Amino acid sequence: MAEHVILFAGPMGAGKTTAIESLSEIETIRTEATNTDRETADKDTTTVALDYGEITVGDEDKVRLYGVPGQRRFNFMWTILKERAVGLVLLVNNDAADPIEELDAFLEEFGELHEKGGIVVCVTRSDVAATPYLDKYAERIREVMPGRMIPVFTADARNGDQMRTALMSLIANIEMTAMIADSQERAA
Amino acid sequence: MTEQVGAQPVSAHKDPVVIAFANEVLDGFSDVCRSLRYATFLTDDGFEVASIAGDEKQNRRVASMASSMQALGDAVAKDLRIGGAEYIIIAAETGYVIQMRVPEHAMVLAAHFDAAETVGKALSVARLAASNMRTLVQEKAA
Ligand SMILES: Nc1nc2c(ncn2[C@@H]2O[C@H](COP(=O)(O)OP(=O)(O)OP(=O)(O)O)[C@@H](O)[C@H]2O)c(=O)[nH]1
Ligand SMILES: [Mg+2]
Repeated sequence: MAEHVILFAGPMGAGKTTAIESLSEIETIRTEATNTDRETADKDTTTVALDYGEITVGDEDKVRLYGVPGQRRFNFMWTILKERAVGLVLLVNNDAADPIEELDAFLEEFGELHEKGGIVVCVTRSDVAATPYLDKYAERIREVMPGRMIPVFTADARNGDQMRTALMSLIANIEMTAMIADSQERAA
Repeated sequence: MTEQVGAQPVSAHKDPVVIAFANEVLDGFSDVCRSLRYATFLTDDGFEVASIAGDEKQNRRVASMASSMQALGDAVAKDLRIGGAEYIIIAAETGYVIQMRVPEHAMVLAAHFDAAETVGKALSVARLAASNMRTLVQEKAA
């Protein structure tokens, strides 16, 4: 199996950098800059180019993890990194001003990754804001991407085990997509 | 990571005084360097502080891209353990872009020169502009 490139996307402060840090087996590459937009996310730094980490899955498969900046003014990085990816971990922080709207916006930007392999949605910071509940996310996903298999998890980006569970389900999806494509090719 | 100036309450791109400083430095910059096509000061996280030439939309885009470039340059330098990136040059067919941090501040200068300039001259005027900016901001903080 080829090396997978998985993208982590989602709004500012959703936990993309944190998730890659929790998952990576190598020292991550970060491009954090002093955050001057405290209104959107009250944290010291924000990603301005990319995050990078690696994790081995199974015996030897290396999975490359790329995080994008959450702020839309860096969307040229979205375009660059989207090219290489076969799957998407979409993180949405439940304490965002309108998390369902964020889900919508990011699915619109990155939804094509479903066809390339798969998407999984992780709702973070639900300890900070209890609502919306997961069914609201699932409902919106059904509306904007009907008939697609897109699992939704609650996860704490700081928790490696929880992030691994989500990642594994994505990788299972990607491999399934690849298998189906393979058998269709052979049948043709 | 560069330090912010003291406990600066307003970030550079929203601070009228810093914006005025940046405009002042950029004006002086274009006076001494005819081959300067475009220049902008931006915050480390990619907000435009001030620019000369270029339209508003382009300025914003350049600021975001320059911020990414700067961070990638720093990441590479860090990974190779060669210290911080002092400046970054993109040499293209018809000109080049030089960018460098305002020393000790979370601010970056990005400047585009046409090919008529020598890299050495462009670098030295860019350095001067960045250091002038540093001096002005420092004096304000003091
Ligand atoms: N309480 C709580 N904090 C969380 C959870 N998940 C992540 N965080 C925190 O939320 C913050 C997320 O910040 P980042 O990882 O920088 O977010 P990001 O998505 O990379 O943001 P940008 O790069 O700015 O787009 C960090 O301080 C995490 O520790 C969670 O489930 N609960
Ligand atoms: Mg980040």
